[in-house]
Order: sequence, then C-alpha cells, then structure tokens
Amino acid sequence: MSAYQNLEQMKGDFYTQKFEAGKQDGTLIINMGPQHPSTHGVLRIVIEVDGEYIVRSEPVLGYLHRMHEKMGETQTWGGFIPNMGRVDYGHPMAWNWAYVGAVEKLMGIEVPERAEYLRVIMTELNRLTSHLLWWGAYILDLGAFTPIMYAFDDREMLLDILQRPSASRLTYSNFRVGGVQMDLDDKCLELIRTFIPHFRERLPMYHDLVTENLILRRRIEGVGIIDEDMCQRYGCTGPVLRGAGVAYDVRKDEPYSIYDRFDFEIPTQDSACSAGRYHVRVAEMEQSLRIIEQALEQLPSAEGKHIMDKAPKPSMKPPAGEAYFAVEGGRGKIGVYVVSDGSKVPYRVKLRAPGFSNMNAFAEAAKGTILADAVAILGSLDLIIPELDR
Amino acid sequence: MLQLLEGIPTQCVAKQDKVSTGRAWSVFLAPAQIVKTARKLYEAEYSLEDVFALDIEEGFLVLYHFNRWNVDERVVLRVLISKDNPTIPSIASIFDGAEWHERETRDFHGVNFEGNPNLVPLLMCVEDVDFHPLLKTDKKRKQIKDLLNLGEVVSCNKEIEALFAEAEAEVASDA
Repeated sequence: MSAYQNLEQMKGDFYTQKFEAGKQDGTLIINMGPQHPSTHGVLRIVIEVDGEYIVRSEPVLGYLHRMHEKMGETQTWGGFIPNMGRVDYGHPMAWNWAYVGAVEKLMGIEVPERAEYLRVIMTELNRLTSHLLWWGAYILDLGAFTPIMYAFDDREMLLDILQRPSASRLTYSNFRVGGVQMDLDDKCLELIRTFIPHFRERLPMYHDLVTENLILRRRIEGVGIIDEDMCQRYGCTGPVLRGAGVAYDVRKDEPYSIYDRFDFEIPTQDSACSAGRYHVRVAEMEQSLRIIEQALEQLPSAEGKHIMDKAPKPSMKPPAGEAYFAVEGGRGKIGVYVVSDGSKVPYRVKLRAPGFSNMNAFAEAAKGTILADAVAILGSLDLIIPELDR
Repeated sequence: MLQLLEGIPTQCVAKQDKVSTGRAWSVFLAPAQIVKTARKLYEAEYSLEDVFALDIEEGFLVLYHFNRWNVDERVVLRVLISKDNPTIPSIASIFDGAEWHERETRDFHGVNFEGNPNLVPLLMCVEDVDFHPLLKTDKKRKQIKDLLNLGEVVSCNKEIEALFAEAEAEVASDA
C-alpha cells in the first residue's frame, strides 16, 4: 500500500466509494467524466475495468441539474415556455411543442391550420440540426475531425433559417399556446426551398465520406447491443428503439397535429447495435426533408394565421385537470404532463426526457465491451446532458 | 385492458378522454398490487414511460405511465400513499428503467421505493439527501378532487369515490 491510499482525499466521493464496495480483485475503477470530452457536457460514468474490458459501470447524473420541474411550479403557464428551449439544446422545438401541446389539451384549444404547418416545418428543420449536431460530434468522438466541419456547414444554413422566425439560434422558445410567435416570411421560405435540394446533394457525400468508412464500421458494427426487450424494460424510444427493429414513432403511432397528412417512412434497422442507430438517424434526415417539402407545398392553402385570435396571455388560467402530451423529438418520445388547479401557476409539470431512459440502458449495453466501445455506445445514444438532468 | 387487470384487486378503473387528457385508462391501485400489475403490463408488451409523484393533501399520489408501441393505449397507474410512511414497492425488478425514475421521485418528493437496488440520490446532490424540492407548502397543497377528474368509471370502491365525491356534488349543485 502506498502512502497515497491513506489520504482522505484519495478515497473518492460518495458514488466512487459505494461503487468500490462491489469491486473484484485485480480490476481498476476509473471515472469517465464529468469532464470527459466524449460525454458532451457533464456526465460522469464510474467504470470498473478488467484490463480493457468493462466489468460494470454506473452513470452518475445531476451535474447539470437545474430543477426545471420546480421552476414550472413557480412561474406562470406562459412564463415556463422559455425553459423548454433550455431543457434540450439539440431539439428545443419539440420540447416547446410538447409543453404547449399539453397546455392546449388542458384548455381544449384548437390551433389554426397554418400554425400547425409552421410548427411541423420548424420542428423538422430543428430535427435536422439536431441530427447534424449528433452526426458531426459522434464522428468526432470516434476520432475523425473533418466531418463535423461539413455537418456544421449545413447546420449553419439551418440556423440562419430558424433564427428568422424565432429570433434565436439555439434555445428556441417561439411556440405559444395557440400557435407560434411569428410567421415564416418570404425570404425564410425561399431559404428553406433552396436548402432542401442543396442538402439532398450533400447527403451522398456524407455517406461516401463516413458511412462506408471501414474504420467507422469496425468501431460501431455489433457494438452496444440494445435489443427490443431491453428497450421495453428501460423505456428506450426514438432511434434507439428503431435501431432495434421496432417501427415506433410518435408521429405515426400516436398521431398528433397534422402528421397524418404527410407521406413519410419510419426507417428501422434490425441490428440493434450502434451502427443500426447510426443508420436510422441518417435515414431520418431524408424523411424530414420529405415532410418539409410536403408541408411547404400545402402551406399556402392552410387556413388561419400563425396564431389563433385572442390567444391566451402568459397569465392564462387553464381549468383544473391534467393532461399528457407526447411528441417525437430527435432522441425519442418527449412527454410533458401538466396538472392545473385552475390558477395562473402550474400545480405540477413533469418532463419525460427520452435521453434519460435511453441512457439508463447504457450500463447493461456496455457490459463486457472494451473501454473504447463505451465512447462508441455513448455517442450512438445521442446524449444531450441538460435533457438527462433537466 | 379490463382483461389484463383480471385477478388484480383494483381500487378504481376508469376510462379517460384521450383528447383532453392524452390517456386511455386510469387505474387506482393499492401499493401492494403495483408489482403484480407491472408484471402483467410487461407481459402485455407495455413499456414504461415515467414514474413520478404528486404532492396532495391526502398524501403522495405516485403515477406510472405505460404505453404500447403499436397500439396507442396509454395507461396511468395511480397509487395513493400516506405522508407518514411514504413507502411503495419498487418495480425495478420488472422494468429496469424504473430504477432511475424511482430514484428521481425519491429525490424530489421523498417517496421511499422498497426494493429499489440503488436508492441513492440521482439528480440532487448527496449532501442534500433529506431535501425534497417539490414538496408543496401547506398553503399551496390542494386536494385530489380539485386537481384530477375520475373519468368514466368502470368500477370503483368507496374510498376512492369518497375522495372525488364532494367535487361531483359541487358540480351537480352548480348545474
């Protein structure tokens, strides 16, 4: 025993000490994070390794916990919308939608047709930015620097488009109960119309550059199996579930808004590994383009304005009751549950984050893989830490 | 759903209005029945969406949301437990994902999930193990009948009916 092991500060914190209790002989306990670059935020995973193999692991959350649910109980119904842009910086539009959708359910509000189209267009554009962010960062995690430059090149165009109707580039909060804050102007529609063929042209280059790359395939194929049964037990949704061969998408299976008017497919993969999840997300980008195209075509004939007449003020008072609303976000099923006691302030807001359930399956998926695979698995789950910790 | 619940002593089964609540069924259960019901739901291919608690005057109402992948039939299980002894069996042995949801509920409300393999703080810090941020003050806390609707009742025992009784009487008198 070296002198260091007697030092109080070398013992580790509560989680390390608790984790150490089950340690086998000859293994090593390491902390991956909270500052590890591949965790994209402050996620910490305590890992026990035998040589290079992971014996067991335990994610430690809470480093980015901001207690959004408490904030929901202290501000007005409308005042909580900006929080929704900050829960998940990857796909904030979907969170906006989940929250205002739940409140609209509670109040029995029907949104004008035009607002529905605008919501679809903006949410799908945001899904593209979310997937591009994941794509670039995932490949970066696995050691290739160039692809993120291409991804951010295209993402930049999308941000330029989205900042016109939302006045922000990352933490969007432009949904309102009853519609959206601003209509898309002509310039914005033109930008979207030019972006679609441009991005279609770029996608094959993405595949040539990365998807078929042998090094990438060796890193992700067959790594981190999360099969259908695991998804059911952990409640995984989104590309993780579709990567396990289940064609479940809230947009199709629990149709909301006007998604039933569009012709699009739900890409699935049967391999249940990191590569499966990779292929699902890349294929989803093409489907989002299809939805946007159709929505743009139908938009001129949509009735109504971008927001309903006499839309509720931020200090609205929904009738007492409860409502649950789920939408499909970039990472899976986003659910918002609200309870009202008839006052200006929500009684309870519960946020169901898809990443939370997806991350829960990590420990089981990573067991028996090598340490470098842990990075490949983490990236394939498309983690957004603020969403995990809320 | 009714078929699935056969053999389980429920406190109250009610249909919910999907348009206004986003759910198909609401089931009140005694704490002792939750594990058995969860197992039945697992066998019927339901997947867990979330577990959380509501702080109300009658105690803690612990809610479980389940849904199936190819049939949209969201179920909410509700278990009312007392504040004096907020303990409820854990369903983490059936739905592994419940472990984190239960830990989060313990953090926020102080509900103790018996049998959870790792009931330590998840989102809150270890130093604040006894601090539960989502507990309401007495002034803000409401009764269950002021918050929730029972829905279209299929079967219901007297205790649960009594919780909602006054609200319905008030509605009747208003009419």
